[in-house]
Amino acid sequence: MKYICSICGFVYDEEKEGVPFSELPSDRVCPACGAEKAMSDPVKENMPQSSVAEDISSDNSHDMEKLSSGALSLLFSNLARGCEKQYRPHEQKMYQEIADFFSAEAKKEKAEGDLVSLVNDNLAGVYKTAEASATAAGDRGALRARLWSYKVEMIARTLLSRYEKEGEKMLENTSVWVCSVCGFVYIGDSAPALCPVCKVPSWKFEKVE
Amino acid sequence: MKWKAVRNLRLCTKDCLCLYVCPVGATDTEDSIIDVDKCTGCGDCAAACPSKAISMIPAEMPLPQEKKDEVLTGMRALLEAKSRERLLASALSEEGPDGKRRLMRALEKSFRLSGEDIAREAGFMLPQQEESLNLLESILDNPPQGFPEDSARAILSSFRKGDR
Repeated sequence: MKYICSICGFVYDEEKEGVPFSELPSDRVCPACGAEKAMSDPVKENMPQSSVAEDISSDNSHDMEKLSSGALSLLFSNLARGCEKQYRPHEQKMYQEIADFFSAEAKKEKAEGDLVSLVNDNLAGVYKTAEASATAAGDRGALRARLWSYKVEMIARTLLSRYEKEGEKMLENTSVWVCSVCGFVYIGDSAPALCPVCKVPSWKFEKVE
Repeated sequence: MKWKAVRNLRLCTKDCLCLYVCPVGATDTEDSIIDVDKCTGCGDCAAACPSKAISMIPAEMPLPQEKKDEVLTGMRALLEAKSRERLLASALSEEGPDGKRRLMRALEKSFRLSGEDIAREAGFMLPQQEESLNLLESILDNPPQGFPEDSARAILSSFRKGDR
């Protein structure tokens, strides 16, 4: 039997490895992307497409004035990046100034709560509803962005739970890398040759100091 | 469609053929960024460049595909979720031992990048699109204290000059 990692597609072949997947330790992570063991699924012939939740929230209000300062900050910093890519440095600077203003506004309020449970709640909640509505509408752009974000989030969850168990030992004498394109986080001495999520080469990774 | 030339400095090997073919001297700049006011969009430089460092982009960006309301609602809820995660990781990166700080800084960056990507699919893909400019205007109607109003107005006048 073969097992495939649902984050990056790494295949564990029981025949070649000589150890059944079920006998691998429960804290085993994918050697390619660091995803936890439970993220790998058995490979079946003609795997059926998993069906998506059919329930879509009926609340369709999306009044932009209701966006929080933190969300506005992300929205405007992205528009600044858009200007950069269109070679419009002046507009880029001004959009970034607006993004920084909202970021500072958002940081005035103390961020409360537990990051692990927030991540878990989001994975079980907003990611599911966003997938359902984008699937129903056949919106490929939204589906792509949601999927990358979801994969990156699953890795974040794994790293957070590893840190809870292993503490500082997990990060001693090694580096933390972030893919500058999709946000995939990797722990290791050097960045992976290819980003497991969005497939850009290693030079797109930034080392976090 | 009208085009303009842009140069990717990462690929440019300074063979300077663009300089020789450009009929208006738009590539002859101190900082190697092609002068968009001079560029006529003829494409000669892109064709001549041996390093494929010049590409032609639309002078006016095509409009993004329209989004369904349900998709906007779903993606905006996701945007808010990413924002909360980012702010929490940011706060956590300011305390505790070195490893934890690095991990939280990485996560803050990760959540920000995801959030920005989600924002594009939440109806704000391009800096010059109507939704982005309308949002700026609605903030200017009742700006929070300290909001950089002059910058917002400058963006509006820059993009509303028919240069969409």
